[in-house]
Amino acid sequence: MADATTQKNTKFVGDGIIIFSNVAEAMKGEKAIKANGYEVRLVAPPPQMRMGCDLAVEINLVEKHGIERTLQEKGVHFIQVLPLTKGASSICEVLKVTDLGKWYMVKAGNMKLSFEKESGTIVNVSGGGCPDIPYLNTEMVDKILCKAPQPRDLGYTLCATMLQRAYEEAIRIYAGGGDK
Amino acid sequence: MMLLFGTLPYKDFPVTFGQVSLEGDSLVADGKKFSRTQGTGAMISAALAIATHFKEEPPFALVAGDIGEGKGTRDIYQYLIDHICSLQPEIITMHYSLPIMALMRKFIEKVKTCPKKPFLIADAGAMYAAKGAGLSKEFDIFTPDPSEIAFLADPQATHPAYISKHLFECDSSKIPQQITDAFRLESAAKLLLVKGKTDYVAQGGEILYTINEPNVPFLEPIGGTGDTVTGLVSGLVYAGLEPKDAAVFACRTNRTAGKLAEPVPSTKVKDIIDQFPRVAKEYYCSWSGVCYMEPEKAEQ
Repeated sequence: MADATTQKNTKFVGDGIIIFSNVAEAMKGEKAIKANGYEVRLVAPPPQMRMGCDLAVEINLVEKHGIERTLQEKGVHFIQVLPLTKGASSICEVLKVTDLGKWYMVKAGNMKLSFEKESGTIVNVSGGGCPDIPYLNTEMVDKILCKAPQPRDLGYTLCATMLQRAYEEAIRIYAGGGDK
Repeated sequence: MMLLFGTLPYKDFPVTFGQVSLEGDSLVADGKKFSRTQGTGAMISAALAIATHFKEEPPFALVAGDIGEGKGTRDIYQYLIDHICSLQPEIITMHYSLPIMALMRKFIEKVKTCPKKPFLIADAGAMYAAKGAGLSKEFDIFTPDPSEIAFLADPQATHPAYISKHLFECDSSKIPQQITDAFRLESAAKLLLVKGKTDYVAQGGEILYTINEPNVPFLEPIGGTGDTVTGLVSGLVYAGLEPKDAAVFACRTNRTAGKLAEPVPSTKVKDIIDQFPRVAKEYYCSWSGVCYMEPEKAEQ
């Protein structure tokens, strides 16, 4: 996935950082992520992010979801993925549920998932601007919540991360809705 | 040429460049079919409907499959960078794609070497990349939704999922201030079309128009109804409308099509898109005061 020309001509500068528990794990992580084609680099974590380690991997933050899955598949343990920006130290946690009569719309950050109250069928997914969202829409819409594939299993980006939160909230609401 | 750029939700769809046509429920470019109901496809369908109404040349699509890994995004950026100067499109609309700031920088650098700069519109991942790379001012129109205008108003954010909490928690009454902030921070394109319960058209830091009617609340949950606004404004600018007028028409077209489709939250965006030709035919004359009569009818 990395653009060879870009790599030669431009030093990679990411906007996110993965914190590992030790140097060996960070090096293992960098190797695994690079092998999957992502652009990354080994860096020292900023002082405020040091958590007992002195090596981290800088990433393109929007690719967080796919990178996390790569690390999990390769058995590389990491502590946390954080943005490298001031004032935005964690992912948005705001959830909002709107009652639309026969349907609920669950909004998590910039993503919305709507489902039918009676059947639990996902009827629409909206919001987001990353390429995995139209794909997740195709895979999830018109399926029952508990039988639909989860964004964390198919998605790669922060939009998918937010959709996973909306999905989990929808599952929670539907499960609490009684004996459907 | 109107060039529409974006990824498609397929694993193995090659880089494809070609003039777009509609075949049944699918779009076709360079002999390859793709869905008109998702993201980039919805945007292209809307632009095609407007081009058809005004009897303009159909748009060209530059698309590739990408389900989030980024390969398709990188491939279409490379194609665009390699061919932008020779293609000389008058308008480029950049849409769903992985927000890779380095590629956006390369693209804008290349555009600056071309004999004539195209009119640039961005939404979705391309808009995130432009903002993150500090290149918003190179664009003529952005079409953010309420969470994306909060993202543009946050000087630190590089993705809408990471905007500061206080911006996310704001109600829609804060959108005018966020528009002001986005212009002040130079995170806005020359014109902003903010899509939402109320649509805003802003230029140079000033809100020129707000559009509230018709109010169709069930449009919000329907995936793709923001993408169609981006396609509509692209088609209307290409047809010759001033950007601010094109933005107003795009909002009114989308809302009116939504009303005619009588949607519920399970309605699919293609049912809205199917109303665009009717809206253009029945409403554009009264909205603009400029009416067009079919030649054969005029002769009768």
